[in-house]
Amino acid sequence: MDTATLTTPLTISVIAMSVIFTVLIILIYTIKVMVYLAPYEEPPAPARTRPNPTAAPVVGSRVPPEIVTAITAALGAHLGKSPGEFQVTQINPGQ
Amino acid sequence: MELSFGDALAKILGTTGFTGLTPGHGVMLVVSCVLLYLAIGKKFEPLLLLPIGFGCLLANLPFSMMASTNEGGLLYFFYQGVKYEVLPPLIFLGVGALTDFGPLLANPKMLALGAAAQIGVYTTLIGAVFLGFNLKEASAIGIIGGADGPTSIFIASKLAPHLLAPIAVAAYSYMSLVPLIQPPIMRWLTTPEERKIKMEQLKPISQTVKILFPIVATIVCCLMLPGVTPLLGMLMLGNLFRESGVTARLHETSETHLINIVTILLALAVGSSMTADSFLRLETLKIILLGLIAFAMATAGGVIFGKVMCKISGGKINPLIGSAGVSAVPMAARVSQKVGSEEDPSNFLLMHAMGPNVAGVIGSAVAAGIFISLFGDVGGASPHAQSAFEAVAHIVSLP
Repeated sequence: MDTATLTTPLTISVIAMSVIFTVLIILIYTIKVMVYLAPYEEPPAPARTRPNPTAAPVVGSRVPPEIVTAITAALGAHLGKSPGEFQVTQINPGQ
Repeated sequence: MELSFGDALAKILGTTGFTGLTPGHGVMLVVSCVLLYLAIGKKFEPLLLLPIGFGCLLANLPFSMMASTNEGGLLYFFYQGVKYEVLPPLIFLGVGALTDFGPLLANPKMLALGAAAQIGVYTTLIGAVFLGFNLKEASAIGIIGGADGPTSIFIASKLAPHLLAPIAVAAYSYMSLVPLIQPPIMRWLTTPEERKIKMEQLKPISQTVKILFPIVATIVCCLMLPGVTPLLGMLMLGNLFRESGVTARLHETSETHLINIVTILLALAVGSSMTADSFLRLETLKIILLGLIAFAMATAGGVIFGKVMCKISGGKINPLIGSAGVSAVPMAARVSQKVGSEEDPSNFLLMHAMGPNVAGVIGSAVAAGIFISLFGDVGGASPHAQSAFEAVAHIVSLP
């Protein structure tokens, strides 16, 4: 095995390792930029509501969920609160 | 048509496999049984070695028409998925859907460990040339050091299809032996104090970054190395299915049914290429030896670079996680955890090691892309750019 034959794979190895490090270092800085631009934010803690223990839950009633959603959204707009801040516990379609 | 009892018996006996059985078939049937024993008895990568072993068994039954070279046979069609490089990228799709890049995104410097571990690929390349393989064959053998089965198959089918069977068997066998190969090298290269280093808690990453990463990484890597696009593109697509949150069905299919189906097809196809004339050669022994060197050097490269990063960071990085840069997800990360906890049971390195581990997947894919750029048929540069590249090559005397 002459030296010239081994020079070629050696050259390829040096160049290839340089390319791998270059590509991955570019990725490192790309990730750093992304993390800087879109930092992690704590998700808002879910609002604690006190359900009325005497009222029957809406879940399980005959009122369809989309009606409950619509009523919740309308109440939220009326009261100036977000839907997470209160809970509809009873809907009586008869009244 | 009339057949006497004697004629019919002679005809049936003449068509049995026994009449075509050669010593080569016999040896390969023993090899297939060894692979099945390793898979079932020793539980070495059973999901792969079992179908590979059974594919080998089927291919070496005379007149069964189950070898990858038997045109029209069942496994011939499976093998076309390897030959035309369809199946390995689909495996990568599933791997991407299974992979959480969170630990890597939380500590992106870990990508450097994934790059360092690729030293195993190139030391093996040099060793393979030294043992008489040409550059394309040596590249296909070297990629075993990336410890990534689909990448090894992808490169072997592209650059040295005649060596596919021994390369695939060596890659998967050594991947299953990672818990045996790596720990002695890790202990030899590190001190007890280094192994006891506890790393800081990883920072949480926003979902926006997790969604952007596969898109940006695909653009960056595939523009630099177009040859890597089938592997890296599928890996990142699978990951985008996972992180986007809007493709739950595609994500679920990719990480379960698709990867399982493709694994069966790929492993059977590889097994079907293990015929006596392609496997029972001196080259196979050389490849198995080189594969071991590749894994050992990759582990050593990762750990040594981990020590360098440990020094630079003022002792904040445990060098043991460098060994996980060899890919082999998640086994290599588990080995880092195991060796670290042997020194200090309260040291939890697993999540930290997952960073270099998934970086190793990207690193080995990039290493494969470089081989394709050098020896594959990636066409593309304009005549002006080509002449500029030739001028640069002339200056730096590239081969």
